[in-house]
Parts: sequence; C-alpha cells; structure tokens
Amino acid sequence: MQNNEKLVCPNCKVEMNFHAMKIDYTQVTGKTESVDHEFGGILEEFHSCPKCGMTATREEKKAA
Amino acid sequence: MDSNRPIFIPVILGTTRQGRMSEHVANFITAEVAKRDGVETELIDIRRLDLPASGESDDVKDAGFSEQMMRADALVIVTPEYNHGYPGSLKRALDTCLKEYIHKAVGICGVSAGPFGGTRVIQDLLPVMRELGLVTIFWDGNFGNVQNLFDSSGKLLDEAYIRRIDKFLKELIWMAKVLRYGRDNVPLE
Repeated sequence: MQNNEKLVCPNCKVEMNFHAMKIDYTQVTGKTESVDHEFGGILEEFHSCPKCGMTATREEKKAA
Repeated sequence: MDSNRPIFIPVILGTTRQGRMSEHVANFITAEVAKRDGVETELIDIRRLDLPASGESDDVKDAGFSEQMMRADALVIVTPEYNHGYPGSLKRALDTCLKEYIHKAVGICGVSAGPFGGTRVIQDLLPVMRELGLVTIFWDGNFGNVQNLFDSSGKLLDEAYIRRIDKFLKELIWMAKVLRYGRDNVPLE
C-alpha cells in the first residue's frame, strides 16, 4: 500500500520524488512487525530530492 | 528541478594493495572525467576509508564516502582482477552503502597484468552492481598488460586509451543524466 504523503527534503524543503522500491531482508528479525509476508521482507521506498539529489528512505505503509 | 547542478562522477580506486597499478588507471580516468564540461569528479581511494573489519550498513559507514555516494550521479569503479575476482576491500567498501546508489549509473574499468583487461572481474561485479541498485552501462574500460601502459610517473604510454575512455564516458554521462531526470521527475507509478 503506497504512502500518499510526499517526503520533503530536510535541506531544500521541496517535495521529493518516490522513484524506487526494494525488499530489505536484513532487518526481518529485528522488525518483525514491518515484514510484508507476501514478499518475505520489509518493503522500503527510495525518494530523491530534485534540487540537491539527496536520497531518503521509508518503509512502505502496510495495508490495515 | 535544479537541472543546472553539475553531474558528479567520482572514480573509486578499488584496491588497497601496495604497488597497485590500478592507481595509474584511476588517476588517468579521473583526469579524463574532469575534462568534461558540466561534470565534477573526485578520486576516492578506498585505502583512505575508515572502515572496521566487520559490521553492517549504517553502523560502519565512512561518513565522507556516504556523502560522496549520495552526491554522485554515476560512478566509475576501477578494479584490479585478483585471481579472477575483485578485491575484498572493494566489496567491503561498496557494501557500506545502499540508498546512496539507487538508480545511479556505473561504469567499470578492469585492470590486469595479463592481456584480458579485467574482463573476468568486470563480469563478476555486474550482479553485485545490480543488487546495489546501480545501473550498468554497456561500455567497459579494459586495461590489460597494465605494467606496460604507464611509465613510472603514471604517464599513459598508449594514446588509444584516450579514445576508448572517451566512448566509455560519453555513455556513462548520458546514462547519468537520464537517471538523474528519472530520480528527480519520474514517479515509480
């Protein structure tokens, strides 16, 4: 389930672009509540600032 | 979009060994990148990174390396071929970052004492690049018989490499620009 709220670059205060997603298998034992069991890991979003190029990540919002 | 910010392409020297011939290659590539208008570069020597022998991800990052990877639009990796593989020290350095690499371009220059110019180490690195989220170009740099390519001061002795690297860099810069546009403007869906 996609997050609707755009991330804002902490440096430039502009909206970041959500351009990639990856399954993170490395933290499944420490953050079991975040694991998407259909993928077997945590779905992580990657966002990029169009002004300075900074990258930020966040977990995909899980369906209720 | 701030399309005027320069493209940044650091060159990673991927070995810590004493007497490494790859250093001449990395210096040559860095100088060639620096000639391009609108492109900035730096040589990153993994020997200078502050990395512990073990540990993962954010816990062991070299802050300077992480910042350079974040700023980068593309990478050039200069790697020697040691026993048909890449140096563990290079893999160790690359593995400390992830989010910094996503949807950025990478070109690989292989260096070898034999005639094949590191073709085997380049092939071995390609799946690693993919898993790191980097996008490989279809030009490589192949520096075979490297002991004969530079004099003791590091001066290139075979000028054919200038044209070869020109083609390599043109492809890399094109990919860097396209991927930056995508990262900045094209949403995942």
